[in-house]
Amino acid sequence: MSDKIIVKKAGSRKIVIADSAAAMDESTKGDVFVDGSHCGINVGEMTLNTGAGAMIGNDAGMGKNDAGIAGLKFLDKHGIPAAAVSAMSAKIGNGKSTYEQGKISVVNEAAKKLGITPGMSAREAADKLLESLSKSGK
Amino acid sequence: MTHEIHKVVRESGGLRIVIADSATSITKDNKNDIVVDGSHCGANIAPDYALPNGIRGMIGNDAGIGLENAGVASLKVLEEHGIPAAAVAAMSAEIGVGQSTYNEGIISTVNEVAKKMGVTVGMSAKEAADKMLEGIS
Repeated sequence: MSDKIIVKKAGSRKIVIADSAAAMDESTKGDVFVDGSHCGINVGEMTLNTGAGAMIGNDAGMGKNDAGIAGLKFLDKHGIPAAAVSAMSAKIGNGKSTYEQGKISVVNEAAKKLGITPGMSAREAADKLLESLSKSGK
Repeated sequence: MTHEIHKVVRESGGLRIVIADSATSITKDNKNDIVVDGSHCGANIAPDYALPNGIRGMIGNDAGIGLENAGVASLKVLEEHGIPAAAVAAMSAEIGVGQSTYNEGIISTVNEVAKKMGVTVGMSAKEAADKMLEGIS
């Protein structure tokens, strides 16, 4: 099973790292979840169903029909900020690599509004998301 | 752990080929199965999901291969355990969708165990799964 590591806290919110998006659960509700998974449609659904506040994953090389980032658009519809790091910047399947080495390649509209941009480090993006979420108080 | 009802596409000699969107849905119920899934084949897949549940074969997505070939890192690990495994090209099938891996996937990477069973690069995932089923029977 994929372990979760808390790397930062702000108020009641946290930045949580895990190898797999499947580690998202009740304990990560409202948090910024940084994982090693692709951002396909099923990961978007996992994020929504567990109530994470924001998500950063791997773009998996985008792939067929941009399936590797299909979850980002899906989360946009629900107002959840989400972004992906380039598969060439971080090791897919390794959450720590996403957080420490990842360079953002794709952002959804909700994340863009919070200042997340392509080229930004995943760490900086996670910090910005945490800051925004902790201020929103939702 | 993700809950999924796996679709069984073939059964033969007590073994099955099953389809799952995510490798994280693999359980001990898959111990006689070749699992065809929509996940990447990164380093966490073998130790966290495939090996503890004793699956017999695996086909996933190569996730564009990526940094340090991370997208296919588990194939080698499964090989060391004698388990056939292969990945389909990210441009051939939609990652996260197991049915797409099975229906549309074209094999890009194969481990040595799968190679010995006749699985080759360029083969359809469907044919590769059949070869694995015959190979381990």
